[in-house]
Amino acid sequence: MAGKKRPADPSIPESNLKALNPDGPHVYHRYHIETDPAPDVAPYPSRFQVRVGKVGLARHLLREIVHYRFNRRLVTSRPCMYGVFSGPIGGFAPRPKMCVGCLRCMTENPDFVRVYHNPQRQLLGDSYFTPQLVDAVMYEAQTGKIPVKGAGYRGKFGGIGWDGMWTDMSEIVRPTRDGIHGREFISTVVHVGERPSYLTFNDQGMPAGPIPRGFSLPLPILFDLPPVSLLQDSLVRILVESARELETLVILPLSQMQRLGVQGQHIVPLVTPEDHGSLAIPGEGPLMVELDSWNEALFKGVLRQFPAAIPCLRLNFGSGFEEQLLGCVDAGIRVFHLVANYHGRSTDGDFVLDTIRRAHQILVDARRRDHVTLIGGGGIIAAEHVPKAIICGLDLVSLETPLLIALQLAMAHGCADRSTSQFIVPDLALGWGTQRLKNLLASWRDQLLEVMGAMGLREVRRLRGELGRAMFQKDLEREAFEGIAGYEKG
Amino acid sequence: MKKAKKSVDQLITEKHTEALHRGFQAWSELRYGMMSALGDHRWTADLILSTWIQAETGNVPGNGLEYRIGDSGGGFDLLDFKFLPDDRWVSEDIPVRTSIPLNRRRFDRKIEIPIPLYGGGMSYGSISEHIMLARARAAAAWSTYTSTGEGGYPDSLAPYKDHVITQVATGMFGVREETIQRAPIVEFKYAQGAKPGLGGHLLGDKTTVAVAKMRESVPWVSLFSPFPFHSVYSVEDHKKHIDWVRTINPGALVCVKVSTPTDIDMVAVGSYYAGAHILQIDGGYGGTGAAPEIAKKNIAMPIEFAIPKVHRYLVQEGIRDEIVVMASGGIRTAHDMAKAIALGADGCVLGTAELVALGCTRCSNCERGRGCPFGLTTTDPELTQLVDPEWGAKRIGNLYRSIQLQLSRILRQLGLRDIRELRGRTDLLSYNRQNENRA
Repeated sequence: MAGKKRPADPSIPESNLKALNPDGPHVYHRYHIETDPAPDVAPYPSRFQVRVGKVGLARHLLREIVHYRFNRRLVTSRPCMYGVFSGPIGGFAPRPKMCVGCLRCMTENPDFVRVYHNPQRQLLGDSYFTPQLVDAVMYEAQTGKIPVKGAGYRGKFGGIGWDGMWTDMSEIVRPTRDGIHGREFISTVVHVGERPSYLTFNDQGMPAGPIPRGFSLPLPILFDLPPVSLLQDSLVRILVESARELETLVILPLSQMQRLGVQGQHIVPLVTPEDHGSLAIPGEGPLMVELDSWNEALFKGVLRQFPAAIPCLRLNFGSGFEEQLLGCVDAGIRVFHLVANYHGRSTDGDFVLDTIRRAHQILVDARRRDHVTLIGGGGIIAAEHVPKAIICGLDLVSLETPLLIALQLAMAHGCADRSTSQFIVPDLALGWGTQRLKNLLASWRDQLLEVMGAMGLREVRRLRGELGRAMFQKDLEREAFEGIAGYEKG
Repeated sequence: MKKAKKSVDQLITEKHTEALHRGFQAWSELRYGMMSALGDHRWTADLILSTWIQAETGNVPGNGLEYRIGDSGGGFDLLDFKFLPDDRWVSEDIPVRTSIPLNRRRFDRKIEIPIPLYGGGMSYGSISEHIMLARARAAAAWSTYTSTGEGGYPDSLAPYKDHVITQVATGMFGVREETIQRAPIVEFKYAQGAKPGLGGHLLGDKTTVAVAKMRESVPWVSLFSPFPFHSVYSVEDHKKHIDWVRTINPGALVCVKVSTPTDIDMVAVGSYYAGAHILQIDGGYGGTGAAPEIAKKNIAMPIEFAIPKVHRYLVQEGIRDEIVVMASGGIRTAHDMAKAIALGADGCVLGTAELVALGCTRCSNCERGRGCPFGLTTTDPELTQLVDPEWGAKRIGNLYRSIQLQLSRILRQLGLRDIRELRGRTDLLSYNRQNENRA
């Protein structure tokens, strides 16, 4: 009924309520990302090229005209059902954009039709963000849907990094029985912040001592800094607005925030020692502040300036990061943002899958894992990388290049790190860009649900560090092939 | 008698069917060179074209096409056989046996199939009725089996009922008492490799009125089968399922189809104790129907790793010779089959290879719109006509013949006379890391 507000449901816990209307009652809000088609705005090369020999086609037509005695339906019946030859002059001007590569035309007419993979398509992305992964992200950003295809798997057997890892499934266990995207509830909520092992209470039953600071995000995904070369206001505004609508966070350099005047609790300022004297930002204080390196004076300055915010330390995966991690836990940091380069490599060249596991394990060994939040980024560029990274030990992941690809930014060269990567930027409209990122995250969240559903898990927090529910190619190969002549442990 | 005049629609079908048949032959004979844009890492252009030749001739290609392995850089593609020197091969005069039993228990009906394979479940709706018929006729001709998949049991298959496995899957689509009663084997599909833990997907475009009627669902509405069985939470519940089937059809053998989780070995033992005769373990790299891309590669282990895990555990438990293990999900060639058996399977279940034999180019457009443009994975009445069931049965039968010839050749070159002697013989395999670089 128009204008009538639904009354608050007292059975629903306060934590699950959200004020959708500042002056109205709390109403039930279940996290959901609204998807809407957001077609490409920049040219995107077709998957295939179609070449038709004009002479061969003319001969074929003449032959058929005679053979079928001018029966128009018979003569003009073409093998393609996707419209490649349905333009005004048919096969004389094929429309490769519509080609899906079924090859029926080439099978039926081997003497004058050829279909090729479009070499332009193979130039998309770079050596890490392969054209296939670019395609997947583009589809997800356009539609918000999970990519579904027939005819089985087409890729390599395994590989290094994420490709050498499989997640588990259960034959009979399922979170609930009502289907993934219907009534079934699988939580993707994560906690960020302090998590003491216990609380103490005074005689009045009130918590004694400082209340642990923390907040929840409905998605285990946040947006990392844009590359140094990308200072376009339009891009930053899209990241900010998308993060706000997705109820997640975006990290931005403090100086950029101040320059653009963007504000909101969901913007995480990245502060450097140079910012020490000018930490003020307008508007609501942020939920979290990220320090770009360990600096005690800066840390204290941040605590003073933003008493309600969670300080987070950005650490590069690389030599000695484990000791630094433990040292900073002792110094009072409870949230870490561990980053590799855009190709998922640490400064030592190790892959992020291994470094995440090391970070998780060292905290487990030190009995500090449950006290801290680990955010990780670098090389997480496909939907499947999110659950895999969480299984390896992260609480949540940060994204960079997939967001840019979703917005149709083209990689100018190999884009391996934040400081040197160059992109070609199309015209970016705020509404379009925001929808593309919402679509991408909706698709990735649904795929996370698929993976967790298959494993029989009800919440993403239980996925963290669940290495017993993961399988690694090295281990499986050793178990299966050890003893076979020529097999050496990899 | 005056010959009935063909309609224009019939002539159109005839025109394209003939052109397709000519094309399959011409391309596989490499008359126009290699087919550009065909193939992928798992099913290379060579593998697809050589399968077309086998479907055409009943033998392996002699034109240099690689018909044994793909280009995936792992699993079967890295395994070779340690063939004996020529002078130690089993002579052509001595027969070699390629048959396997499908019931290794001391009780219940004894079934033996002459080749260590049968056709895997592909549902009505995911494939056309013509393809189901072609598969059933080929199975009958070779005294083996084909599975209905989870979309019901069309009446046209009834004449081949002795060679049709009735699948019971989580959606229970089209499962009726009579389809259980007429089946020599009933297959419970707990999970499938291409989408482990997710249940079958049939998108709305393909849920025609006929398909919906068979499945007792609503036309043009997507069908996502639930996962898992709503009635099974444990091995005990699973046994209840088996008891239910055996009450309705006491003569049926029971097959349990599962995916490949970390504890696949335990699943295998549980299935055995629940009373299954056949365990079908389905790896993730096969599959013919619609599946989320994320599930194909990332969930559950490849079949090459699951087979030895299951085999060894069943041996340790002392029950290996009482249950038949069939491997599926990524078995493309006769060489894959022989390697799967050497790793510990009794036999294999084929799906994609049969579709490739019928002309599939693996373009992955099966799930949407009108479905397969070659008339395979479609429910479109016009496209369905592109495959004549008789032609299809012959192609699949020829592929089976070629597989049998190759398996016999492999056995002879290993000095074996029976495919059953190959089971679990990893000592006859070698690991060829050089092939890693092909991918």
